[in-house]
Parts: sequence; C-alpha cells; structure tokens
Amino acid sequence: MLVASKGVLVQCDPSIKALIIQIDSQSPGIILEELDDTHLLIQQDKVEIVKNELNKLLSKNIYDPFEDDSRM
Amino acid sequence: MSIRSTEPVNYREVDDENFSDEDDDIDKDFNIGNKRKNQGNTNDNQKKRKAIEAMETLKLDLKDENLSDEDLIELTPDIPKDYIPDAVSKNFGKSDFSYLKLKPDHFSRPIWISPSDLRIILESFSPLAEQAQDFLITIAEPISRPSHIHEYRITAYSLYAAVSVGLETDDIISVLNRLSKVPVAESIVNFIKAATVSYGKVKLVLKHNRYFVESTQADILQMLLKDEVIGPLRVLENGESKNLTESAAPLNDINIPGTKKPEESKEKTETEDIFASVVGNKDEDDDLDIVHSFEISHESVEIVKRRCQEIDYPVLEEYDFRNDARNVDLEIDLKPSTQIRPYQEKSLSKMFGNGRARSGIIVLPCGAGKTLVGITAACTIRKSVIVLCTSSVSVMQWRQQFLQWCTIQPESVALFTSENKEMFATEAGLVVSTYSMVANTRNRSHDSQKVMDFLKSREWGFIILDEVHVVPANMFRRVVTTIAAHAKLGLTATLVREDDKIDDLNFLIGPKLYEANWMDLAQKGHIANVQCAEVWCPMTSEFYQEYLRESARKRMLLYIMNPTKFQACQFLIHYHEKRGDKIIVFSDNVYALQEYALKLGKPFIYGSTPQQERMKILQNFQHNDQINTIFLSKVGDTSIDLPEATCLIQISSHYGSRRQEAQRLGRILRAKRRNDEGFNAFFYSLVSKDTQEMYYSTKRQAFLVDQGYAFKVITHLSGMEQLPDLAYASPKERRELLQQVLLKNEDAAGLEVGDDIDTNFISKEKRAKLEESQASRTAGSLAGLAGGEDMAYIEYSKNKNKELKDSHHPLIKKMYYRQKNKEKKALNK
Amino acid sequence: MSSNLFKTTVNEYLESLPKTVQSKLYEAPATCLSIYRLLSPMAKFYIMSMIFNEKPVNLRDLNKWCKPSSRKLEYEALKRLKALHLVEYDNKGSHIRLHSNFRKNFRDCLTGTQKPNAFGSISLTNDKHKVDIKFLDKFASQKWENILHFMVGTESTTTPSKSVLSLLQLGGLMENKNGLSITNSGFQFLLQDVNAQIWTLLLQYLNLTQDLNMDPVDVLNFIFILGSLELGKSYSVSSLSETQRSMLADLRDYGLVYQRSDTSGRFYPTRLATTLTSDSAGLKTPSMAVEQALGEEAEETAQERNIQESIIIETNFKVYAYTNSPLEIAILNLFVHLRTRFANMVCGQITRESIRNALYNGITADQIIKFLDSHAHPQMKLLAKERLDKKIEFDTSNNINTAGGAPQSKNENVISQHKLEIIPPNVLDQIKLWQLELDRIQTFEGYLFKDLANQQEYDILSNYASELGVLIWSDKVKKKFFVTKDGMSQVADFANRKLKR
Repeated sequence: MLVASKGVLVQCDPSIKALIIQIDSQSPGIILEELDDTHLLIQQDKVEIVKNELNKLLSKNIYDPFEDDSRM
Repeated sequence: MSIRSTEPVNYREVDDENFSDEDDDIDKDFNIGNKRKNQGNTNDNQKKRKAIEAMETLKLDLKDENLSDEDLIELTPDIPKDYIPDAVSKNFGKSDFSYLKLKPDHFSRPIWISPSDLRIILESFSPLAEQAQDFLITIAEPISRPSHIHEYRITAYSLYAAVSVGLETDDIISVLNRLSKVPVAESIVNFIKAATVSYGKVKLVLKHNRYFVESTQADILQMLLKDEVIGPLRVLENGESKNLTESAAPLNDINIPGTKKPEESKEKTETEDIFASVVGNKDEDDDLDIVHSFEISHESVEIVKRRCQEIDYPVLEEYDFRNDARNVDLEIDLKPSTQIRPYQEKSLSKMFGNGRARSGIIVLPCGAGKTLVGITAACTIRKSVIVLCTSSVSVMQWRQQFLQWCTIQPESVALFTSENKEMFATEAGLVVSTYSMVANTRNRSHDSQKVMDFLKSREWGFIILDEVHVVPANMFRRVVTTIAAHAKLGLTATLVREDDKIDDLNFLIGPKLYEANWMDLAQKGHIANVQCAEVWCPMTSEFYQEYLRESARKRMLLYIMNPTKFQACQFLIHYHEKRGDKIIVFSDNVYALQEYALKLGKPFIYGSTPQQERMKILQNFQHNDQINTIFLSKVGDTSIDLPEATCLIQISSHYGSRRQEAQRLGRILRAKRRNDEGFNAFFYSLVSKDTQEMYYSTKRQAFLVDQGYAFKVITHLSGMEQLPDLAYASPKERRELLQQVLLKNEDAAGLEVGDDIDTNFISKEKRAKLEESQASRTAGSLAGLAGGEDMAYIEYSKNKNKELKDSHHPLIKKMYYRQKNKEKKALNK
Repeated sequence: MSSNLFKTTVNEYLESLPKTVQSKLYEAPATCLSIYRLLSPMAKFYIMSMIFNEKPVNLRDLNKWCKPSSRKLEYEALKRLKALHLVEYDNKGSHIRLHSNFRKNFRDCLTGTQKPNAFGSISLTNDKHKVDIKFLDKFASQKWENILHFMVGTESTTTPSKSVLSLLQLGGLMENKNGLSITNSGFQFLLQDVNAQIWTLLLQYLNLTQDLNMDPVDVLNFIFILGSLELGKSYSVSSLSETQRSMLADLRDYGLVYQRSDTSGRFYPTRLATTLTSDSAGLKTPSMAVEQALGEEAEETAQERNIQESIIIETNFKVYAYTNSPLEIAILNLFVHLRTRFANMVCGQITRESIRNALYNGITADQIIKFLDSHAHPQMKLLAKERLDKKIEFDTSNNINTAGGAPQSKNENVISQHKLEIIPPNVLDQIKLWQLELDRIQTFEGYLFKDLANQQEYDILSNYASELGVLIWSDKVKKKFFVTKDGMSQVADFANRKLKR
C-alpha cells in the first residue's frame, strides 16, 4: 500500500539538524522522520516553534555589543 | 565665513609671554573669556583689539545676538519652546538633541557633545582633529577610534586624570566649548564642575620615607582630620597634633632627556599648545602658598586614598624630584643615540608636565616601546629605581634594555628573582624584579629575605610597574605598601574599559596619563599593519551531536578539537609558510596544543617546557629557516618577544578576554618587516561555527574593533579540501578523534596550570573555585563566562628553578602520562 | 526566503481576479501586452511558442522544451499562466492552449493590427505649452517625493491631495492619531523601489474605485495603457472613457501624468507611468529608487542638499550620517539602531538585531549595501581610494595578486582583487552573513512518499515528480521521496494510474 505522509520538509546544515533533534527531545512530537544529514520531516504545525527555538539557541552563540553598554 | 581659519590662534604666543589668562582670540569670538576679562592682563592691547575686531566681524556677518556661548548654555538645558519633534524624533528617545543649535561656523569645529551620556564625537578628518584628540585623551576615555569618527566619554575618572595633569575646571569647559559644533549643555558643565572642583586640592607626599597628606587650604585639611575614617589614621608625633607647615617648592622648567626643550621646538605644532596655554603655569599661584600637612602610616595610605576618593577629594601624588636632596642622584642618562618617538614624548610630557613627576598609568600598544618610556622616565627622575614585571623573562629583558638605551653602569643594576638575589653596591641604583618576588609573604630563603629588607629599608625615587593589568589588586596592594616610592608609573597595552580593576589601579598607582591611538601608530609605521580574520569552521555532525550532549567543559574540548578547525589550521600554516611567513599558533588549551603540534610535527612551548628547551625552540624559530611555525600556550601571550613572527593563528583562547586578544595581536605588532612597503601581518582566529566559541570570539574582538581593527569573516578557505595530506579527511579518522576526545577527562578542558606557585598570581584553591564557578555558571549567564566581568585573566609563567625540582602539579603529571601513553593506546585499539 | 511585506503586488492582484474579469481584461491589447511584460522569461517563452499555434499543445511536448534541471521553472511558469487563465487545459489535462481573447489581441499587438487607439491616441496638434522630458521628470519626482516627505513629516512639505491621503490611510501606511502619522508599514514602504511603491498605491486605488462603482477593468486597462505610452509625447483626453477621464486628476496627484490644467485636452505620461510594467526600467534598482525617493535629480540638487554623500560607516559598525532630513533618517532607521541625533548628524550602529529587523520587513542585504555605498561620505571614498591605490602599487611592484593576502573563496578573491571598497569589507560581509543566517533552514510543505513496493515503483514515481519539478528530496536506497503540496495531486493521480494493483 502506497503511503504518503503529510509534513514539512526541513533542509538545513548538519549542526542545525542536530539542534532540531535536541529541540524535539525536549518537547517531543516535532520530528516525524529523520531523512539524512541535512533533511528532516517535521509536523506542519510545529514549524514556527522550531524556528523560534532555533533562533533562541543560535542567538545564545552571538554576542550583543549592547550587553556592555547597558552598564554605563 | 569661518573666522577660525582666517584668524589662526597662536597659543604659543600666549605662552611665550607668560600670559596666564586665556583671553585669546577664540575666546573673545564667543565671549567665553568674558567672566575673566576684568582680571585679564591688558598689556597685550593689540591682541585684544584684534579679538574685538574679530568679534565685531562675526556679529556683522551673522547678525546673531545669541552667539555668546554663555547665552547658549542657558538656552540648552530645556528643549526650546519653538522646537517641534518631527516624525523620526521618537526613534532617539531622549537622545534627540537636534534642538541644540549649531554654531554658525560649526563645520570648522570638530566635535559634538551628547548631553545625555557625556559622549564626545570627533571628526578625525577635521583640520583641528589632532589638537582636539590631544585634549580629549586627557579629559575623556577613548571609546572607539576607527578611521573617520572617534568617540570619547567624559567620566569622573577621566576628569580626575585631567585635573591631575594640571587642567582646571574652567579650562576644560572653555576648550570643550571652543571645539564643539553645538553649545556645551549645562548638564555637562555641571558634571565637569562637580567632578573636578575638589580634585587636586589634596596631595600625598613622601618625605623621609614618611607619608604626609598635604593641602594648601587649611580648612580642607581640617575637614579631612574630622573625617571618621581619615582622622584616626593620623600619626601623631610625640603625642602632639602639630601640623607641619612649610612653603611649597618653587617650580622650574623641566627637561625630559631625549626630548627637545620647548624653546628649541619652534616648529612644535599647536597640538600641545591648545591646552598648554590653558594648562600653562597654573601652579605659579601656589608657589608661595603655605602648605599644611599631617602624617599617615604606610599601611593606611590606601585607606586614606580610597576614602578621599569617596568624599570627592581624590589625592594627587607628585614627586618634586629636583628638590629632593635627601635621596642620592642616580647616574643615568639616555645614550645620545637613543631616539624617542613623538608619542612616547607626548606620554612623558603628561607625566612631567609641571616639573614634578606624577604617578599614573601610560597605555601604549604592545610593540610601541613601553619599556623605553619607562627608561626615559627613570632618566628624568634620576633617583633609585625599581622595576617590577610579570616574569623572570621580562626581568632579563628590562635589564638588557636599560643597558642598551642608557648610560647606567652594570654594577648599579641588580636583579631580584628566584635565580638572582642581588643588591647594588652603589649609593643609588636600579633593581629589576617580579611582582611575586616582592609580594610573596611566605617563607623566604635567607638571601631573599636580605634583599627584601634592603628593598623595604630604602626610599625609592621611582617605581615602574610593568603590565599592570595582569596583576591582581591584592598583590598590587602588597607591593605598593611594601616599597616606598615617590613616583609610580604603570605601563600596559590594554586597560580594558569594563575592567573593575581600573578602580583599584586608580587608587594604587594613579590616573591614566596617556593612551595611544593604535591606528595612528600603525599608519605612521611604529607598529605593524595587521589583517585580522575570523575563520568559521563548521562542526562535523558527529562532533556537534556530542557537543550538544556534553557538559560545558567538555563542550569546550569538542569545539577546540573540531576536525574542521584542525584542517583550517593545517591549511593556513601551509599557506603562510609558502608565503614566507613565520607563524605562531596560540592555544590556551594544553591538550589541544599538544595534539595539534604533534600531529603537524611542529615544536611547542607551554608552562611545563623546560627553560632550556624553550630557548632552543625560540632560537630556531628566529634563525632556522626550517622552523617556521611554533605552537605556544598562554605563556607566550605576553613575555615572549618574537619580532620575526608575521602571522598568528589562534585555535583556543580564554573565553571572552579582550585583553588576551589584544596581547596576542601585540605579538606581531613589532614585526621586523613592519616598515616594508605594503607589509601586512596576519591574525587569524579559528572559531567553531554554531558553538559558544562564536560568542566569545566576537566579545574578545570588541576592544580591537574599537581601536579600528576589522575582523573579516572567512566562511570558506578555498583549496583546503585539495590540500595534500589533509588531516582527518576520512570519516574513520574523525570518529577516532572524537572517541579520543570523549575519553578525555573534563580537566583537559581546563586552563593551563603551571606548577610554579611563585609566579602564579592566584592560589590554586581560588583558581579551582573560579573554574568551578565558571562551569556551573554556563547554564545560566553567558556574560559570566565571557571574561569581561569575571576575574583577571590569569598569567601563568614558569620559573626555571622550581621546574627542575620535580614539583609538577598532579594535573600536569597526568597529562604527561597520557601523552606518553597515547601511542600505546592507539596501538591497542 | 525573505518575506515581502507588500504581497499585494500587481501579479498577485491579477491572479486573484475572477476568470470573467480576467477575460474582460484580455480584450484590451494594451493590457495583454502589459501582462505579458510582467511575466517571467519562461512564461513569456511559452506564450510566444503558442501564440501562432492554432492547435492545443501536448504537455509532453512542452516538457521536451526545457531541460530536466529547469523543471521547477517550468512548473512555476505554468502555474502562473494557469492562475491568470492565460492557458486553458483540455478535459484530459494532457493538452493546453492560450486564452483565445488574449491570443488574438496579443497577436494583434505584435503584428501591429490592433485597433488604432488601443495604446491611447497621440495628440496630433502641436502643444502651445509643450513640455520636455526633463520637465516631466522633475514634475514626477517632485510630486512623488512630496508624498514621501509628507509621510515622514518633513517640514514645509505641502499636504498632498485628499485622494492621496485616503490611499495612504487605506494602505495602512499612515494612521490618524491626532493628525496623520506614519505607521511601521509606512517606514518599510519607504525602502521599496519606486515601482513597488506606485503599485502599492495603485492597488489601493483599485480597491477604492470599486467602492465608487468604477469599472475595475476600465481602470486597470488605463493603467496598463499608461505603461505602454511613450515618454515625452502628449495624448488626447478625448479618446478616454468617462471613468478614465475621471482618473486623470488623481494620477496627476501621484505624478504619473502631467496635465497643464483640468480642462486641457491633452496629457503627458511621466516616467513613473511609462515604466510601470517594464522590468528593465532604470527605476527598478533600490539605490535608484531611494535616490528617487529622496528626490535626487543628482546634479541639480546635490549641491544644496548634499544628501548623496552623507553616511560614514566604520569598521566597528557604527554609523554616522550627516543629515537632518526625516526622510533619510527614517530610511536609516529601517536597518540602523539609531542612538543620538544632533542638528546636522545622527549616529547609530548596525547590529545583528537591526539588520534582522530590516530583513524580516522584506528589505534585502543588497538593498542596504547599495544604499550605504551610494550615500557614502566623501571621506569614505577618499580612504577607499587611498587604500586601493596602495594595494595596486604594492601588487604591481611585487608582481603578486594576493588581494589582501588572506586565502578566500576563489571567486570572491578574483572579484575583490582591485575593487574600490567604500564600505568596510568586514561590515559588508557581516550584513550578508546575517541575511544568510536567516536562511539556515528552508522549509517545504508537502508529502513524503515511502514504503514503496520496489525499486521500480520508486523510480517511476520519483522520476515523474522530478520531471514535474515538484520533487524536493529523494533517497534511492531508502526508497523515499518528498513532493511539494502543489505537486501532490498530480503525483498521486499518476501513481493511481500507473500502479493499479
């Protein structure tokens, strides 16, 4: 029987994929299927959550020059 | 239309005539000098006429009655009634100062001053910029100095420094007014007044090895004596409470050796004059004043200084060395062949501006000749000198430089290190030592105790404190209270702004006297031009998955050992060796240092490398054209001087330490080839993408970026994949590396630990605590990890003697052990 | 995949029209030509291929006209044509042909056999008050610029006409809060190119006309006719319909047409009108757009206002702009974190956040860079030139070509070899990197086919999807592939047909 599952294909770097897997492990039910190093199938209604979480995680690695200024 | 340009101001003239009023043309133009007019010296009628004419012309030209700065000042605090904010005003919040009316000739004036945050914005391309810079560096902290527009900020400390070099409140305000395109807001004027009015009124003087608090105003002294903190600290002589009263020493001209006397330098630019005229001979009035004083003990010096700062009467420390007959003169002069560069001269003029030696800090980039500044200062004071540095390598370098640049006799020079415990036999002399030797409170050997007693018993004319930024405050305190010195000079390349330690340095040494402009020095060829780049190395997926899983410390190990980073390092070494560069690779992490160096077959030096081997490696690097790359741990950050190096690659570093970044860059600033036409040195920072390292990397660069350095991001090194013998090219190799890294103890990620307690500035227990706290903080605050706000960046250097005794720290032993067993393990697999 | 605030482009508007309205539109040759001009090159190619072909074309043949690697383009082009109903499918879905009205009228355009006044009628008599192109350009930019200045509240701008004001409010560009003030969308509107700006207003205008019982077809036709007129020529009012005549006054307010007086029998289209539907127009580039927005007319006003060369951007990302123009400040505020303002200068800093905000609002990194580049302060240019001269001198004297020395991506290196770098290269790269950072994940809605019976099944289906250009990902070993949402029905149909089991 031919099966086609509905979802959103995510194409990204391996490191981003690893991050999405981490996000999924914290709030399960996002990833439907891991396809390869750079592709994932995720729940359609979770796309925004993934994008927001990714943004949060990635922003942690970015230095904001105003961090220091606020002290003065 | 610019009156400014048609009527150039001749400050020189003002100065030559010993004319102490600032009634020069410009002041007249804008009526700044008004309030002083009555007391003004009227013998210069011609000048005055000229000024009036100029003012009249201006008025005719502009038909603007509101031109007086005083009027404008009154106008500014409130937003004018007729001012209507436009559609974009709200974007600036409270920082929309478009209501500040521009002066009619604003385009010929170089600065804006922001009333809200006391920020000064300077057009560096203005014809007046050089003069303005010279003034601003005295009264404000430089924030950023890239190519076109510089920013400074007026702070209480910077004003303290300004006062201590002789500027007065009114001078500061009037010069600011002259330079500014917009009127100086009342808030700024008030701040300057409040911060400076009481500065410089109290002095701390060392006489006969005793400390006295001095003031020309008896009421201030009375107030201090009534102070709850200072009062009880007064030392009473024979139970009497008599104030010493004597007249202050008269002031004479001073000649800094190696520099030109003012009379000789007719061509001297207006640069210095812009505030020479206002600084002038201010002290003249004081000359005949009666000075009141009381004594305090050595131990209470710091408490008194701190308290004085708290109550807004910060003490000035000045040394009138020419009238010090008690201490024997030291026979020391610069050799005739010794040349001093203009910026070195400028920094010294801040120190000796009024004929006495002021204590304070001079900030020059690495490679810009800090040592020579210290030596020249010593030759000016000509009294016994003590130099303290961070390592025994530096001790040797200082001694060598003293003998090279000046006429001091070798027998007058003594070294005090763990290897050498010397005292000079002459009446006056020079001692070079390390902070730790002097600050050590634990058991000393007999020899060492003897030298310490010698150092303590004497009164020193001058103390030079090298690399002041690396020394923790408590050690500093001990040094400063142990050694009685009249004048103190701190030298450093990086006085990083957010450093809390600046407060301490202000008490313990004195204000910052001078800070050089890096880009300016690079442009003039005093330091090398450097191309900076940040190379992004993507984490391989296996490494990144582990990275996400691991603890904070293990993460560090993973991003340092990222195979892509290794490949980038290998590729860059290959590329630059082919270009004929000499390369230093820096790694804070010793495990990575060894792994990289061994795999690439390059020599490396770290804390535990014996002195002999170090020297051999360094010599080979300098002279052997087969050895073009060496790996250094952080022992190479400061003390090792290698002018051959033209390329730096940084693979691991101390969190977000801006200072370390600047110091490392400093390793190539004195590159021998810097004066070759078009020569560029290279500074690469290798960073693992999507890891914490990215955060630290940007933070580390902040200081250099504000000095005008630009870090280019390289996302892909072309040709890397094609490099023959590229390491970790196969997945198998990468997996093996990952296994190896995962097997490592967390400790391997730690800071480098030297085994020499003597030269470590922080106790082991404390360090362990720091590391712990860093690790546990990772989860919460990133800023906590980032260096700026945490502890001093720790410098571990090595001491040869102790090294030979086998007192290896357990961790080092462990690492040694592992290293040796590594091949075995590999075989077993 | 930056989002575009102004989704209501003319294309989308046209696609959204009911088929009956579209068919009516295709009765006007000028409209056919304009719509053709708005299409992608691939779609244009299909139209040209079918225009003289009486018979429907087999889809299979169509497939053969393009390389398998360009399936996606093909797919998209067909999608557009279908949405506009320019092509019609036969019952079996195997053949297509052009919309008959469109085919006839567009063919007439090409052969020049259309009705005489299909493209407006040129006034035959001489104009006593003849105006030249320069005059028209000035008129147009003044009108348009005045609207933009009004939006940001520049002092001494005259209030635009009521019709303009209501369009600005209708489009959400300004709002009425104790007087009109600009909205966030309004600020983003400012950095759009002029063409997009005009279309934004015109589409609002179309909405308005419907309420006024004006025939949208008539209105659109006139707009498209304008786009086909010749700059510098005058056209007669008398050949216009009632509706179209009533539009003239409004179009005058926007600077699209010039008419000496309300009663004048002739009108001149301006450059803003004649470039409406051309995709090669000089107005398209952002920098030109911004310059237009600022009312540049370079030589004429540069001296008095010096808006051209006002911005300094340093290697530490700080921005200093010598300006007091609310319009310019408003534009800067789109991508600069502004901090302090003085009477003749504003300063701020470019940060990741400020650039991301701009990107989220549909502004591209290239737009920002171009803006900074074209407005660079003379000091920036001076320094860039000095550096370049030094580099050239060094390279020639050393006979090397290591621009900068650092090993860079090859092509980048070659290009940047001896290029004048006005914006500090590190800043330029960083802005681009911030844009790339937003695209770190790409998402596609669709369906994952898996559990296929055998390799052959997999091959047949995935190849079919690939040919349609709807295949996004496939894995031969795992026998799985992913198709877009749009392609799903076709692939599913195909599968049902082929794999009857």
